[in-house]
Amino acid sequence: MSNSILVVGGGFSGLTAAIEAAEVGYEVYIVEKTPFLGGRVAQLNKYFPKLCPPSCGLEIQFQRIKKNPRIKFFTQAEVTAVSGDAGNYTVKVHIEPRGTVPSSADLSLLASSLESDVDNEFELGLAKRKPLYMSVPFAFPSRFVLDKAALSRADELKVGKSAFCDMNEAPRDIELNVGSIVVATGWKPYDVTKLSNLGAGAFANCVSNMQLERLASASGPTAGQIKRPSDGKAPKKVAFVQCAGSRDQNHLNYCSYICCMASLKQALYVREQYPDAEVTVYYIDLRTPGRYDKFLRKVKADEKIALVKGKVAGVEEDAATGDVIVEVEDAVKGEKRKHRYDLVVLATGMQPSLAGQKLPFDVPVDEEGFIVGGEEKGIFAAGCAQKPLDVMRTAQSGTSAALKAIQTVRGR
Amino acid sequence: MAQPVRIQPDLEFVKELQAVGGESLKKCYQCATCSVACPISPTNNPYPRKEMVWASWGLKDKLLSDVDIWLCHNCGTCSDLCPRGAKPGDLLSALRNMTYSRLTQPSIVGKWLSSAQYLPILVAIPAILWAVIWVIMAGVNGSVFPQGDIVFGKLFPGDFTIDPIFILTFFTAVGILFKGTKNLIASFQPEGRTMMLGKTKHWTLHLVDVILEEVLTHTKFKDCGADKSDRKVGHMTLMYSFVILAFVTGVVAVGHWGGKVIPAIEIHTPMPLTFPVKILANIGAVMLLVGLAILTVRRKALDPKKTSSNYYDWYLLGVIWVVAVTGVLSQLFRLAGIAPVAYSVYYVHLVAVWMLFAYLPWSKLGHLVYRTAALTYVRAMGRR
Repeated sequence: MSNSILVVGGGFSGLTAAIEAAEVGYEVYIVEKTPFLGGRVAQLNKYFPKLCPPSCGLEIQFQRIKKNPRIKFFTQAEVTAVSGDAGNYTVKVHIEPRGTVPSSADLSLLASSLESDVDNEFELGLAKRKPLYMSVPFAFPSRFVLDKAALSRADELKVGKSAFCDMNEAPRDIELNVGSIVVATGWKPYDVTKLSNLGAGAFANCVSNMQLERLASASGPTAGQIKRPSDGKAPKKVAFVQCAGSRDQNHLNYCSYICCMASLKQALYVREQYPDAEVTVYYIDLRTPGRYDKFLRKVKADEKIALVKGKVAGVEEDAATGDVIVEVEDAVKGEKRKHRYDLVVLATGMQPSLAGQKLPFDVPVDEEGFIVGGEEKGIFAAGCAQKPLDVMRTAQSGTSAALKAIQTVRGR
Repeated sequence: MAQPVRIQPDLEFVKELQAVGGESLKKCYQCATCSVACPISPTNNPYPRKEMVWASWGLKDKLLSDVDIWLCHNCGTCSDLCPRGAKPGDLLSALRNMTYSRLTQPSIVGKWLSSAQYLPILVAIPAILWAVIWVIMAGVNGSVFPQGDIVFGKLFPGDFTIDPIFILTFFTAVGILFKGTKNLIASFQPEGRTMMLGKTKHWTLHLVDVILEEVLTHTKFKDCGADKSDRKVGHMTLMYSFVILAFVTGVVAVGHWGGKVIPAIEIHTPMPLTFPVKILANIGAVMLLVGLAILTVRRKALDPKKTSSNYYDWYLLGVIWVVAVTGVLSQLFRLAGIAPVAYSVYYVHLVAVWMLFAYLPWSKLGHLVYRTAALTYVRAMGRR
């Protein structure tokens, strides 16, 4: 029997669930797959409802974790097996070596002296990174990660000499005894290579909405300047393609809830940086739930932002200029045209991270990969593992899952 | 502000449409992927998105006067990319099926052609017709199957039965199609008058263009996309086999009837296997089977979630299959000298051929005239 709670996933909902439970006195473990906490929110430039930079909201969460001895977190860790019942689960966790000693030492000089460059998954293919790295300046834990496999021979010698790196750290497998589990595994951007009629991710200047967040972010590859990935040119004409994969039975057979708001927000990023730029958003239906309608009115007031009903169904590249040509029918006017843009943003949808994965715990998922049950077993889904949500509702669902987890373990 | 338009939906019409093959149309949410996906849809007022909303709203008048349904060559790309499985391709196909039964008189035949439950009636008419002739000739011949060499003319004499019946059937069908085509063109006429600026071409010249540039070459099928090339090959093989077989029939008719006046051009049936006309006929028959096989395999392989085949599709394929198979088998059993089987199969062949021609105006094969007429009209109106 245990009254501890395991939270799988260290994104916004997982952090919220963990902190809420810990702050009322329960012991919580967070298991996070990546080297840093913060999840998708850490990748954003600004997030709803108040358009804060992520460092703002996450900073508070990280402080609360640091100050709370009841929260223990494991990064680069994955749950491999779960056995037992509600109130008494044995959880096996596999932890990859971080390769650096426990300290907040700034290893950026050493990192920049390394010769290898590898694709930066955090920047979604827009930049390279060194084998010794942090994701963002405000990353938590504030401790570099060593990607041993990516080191060259010369790099290995340099890193081996550093007192702050540990080339010999081995992977570990630990066992946790918990009473309840919160599954906050979150989401991943839908794979654009599957969108064959939208360029399949093959055109440099046809980016995804998450890539645009990185392009607009001060910690991103362009230091916040929205530029074309192909030539660094400032875009003058930008198009947003809504429902790139969402609401489509061939891809994601549901509305991803947040992409309309994301595109409207990103339209403003572009307009704030480039007062002359023209933006067009092509949509099926503009969905701005609840009070977000006010935001839509603000966007509509901008004369240089056009909102056009009609889903883009063809994307081509002009190889000579790098321009992207979209083909779309304006469904109100009944005109099918090709339009040329400097930059096209695909509003790709949210796919649950668990889609297509074999789960270590026995909870029912729907055909899309969202968790749809398991509460009677003391396993509760939070955030986008459950359904597509914005950050605010994600936090609410994290609190809700924490409360249910507490009710499961209380008195044990 | 524009005045609000009051829509008067015809719900019965929507149900009727769903019954003839457009059952998924209500799933459409007007994203307009289909109009863009279609490689041959024009840039102004492209189809099929507008047809989808008209159908959902029950705007019968708009749909029944819509020429665009004939521009579609049913490649299915729109339905493949449709995010909702609303099958816009099936809707246009259903609308065309509706045209066959609505515009063509008498409409009772159209009803019989619209559902498998009436198939026995369709079969019974020619089955009785040819059976009556068989009974009479059995009396004349003194046996059910004629004695001696197998000559189909002994059982179904060309001069007194086959030729008059088919000539009458053929010209009746032509007359019915002519009237149907007039109705079709009249349905396309917009309200008021259309003013044409600049030089206009006579419609017959447009018809020639359609036949040369689209029908004979199947260019629209090519434009439908390389991944649909089996459709083009299958349909073209089938069409040219019909052309060959029609030509052979014409030559034999001229040789037979003309031979009575000018003995030099006389042709006797059955023709020897090495006779050039017979060789051509057999090439046509093989092409017919090949074309049918390609189209049937393709149709069977369609994903029913994307494109479904309706009764009109299967009726036409089925009848042509029976025509082709019984035609080839009649010849083989005749050559093999198995009289009872040869005569019986030939009887089925006559039933199927009569069905093909007599019901043509109400069947999917009506597209051969209606589509050509619509494409000609479209060119004359300058919509490309």
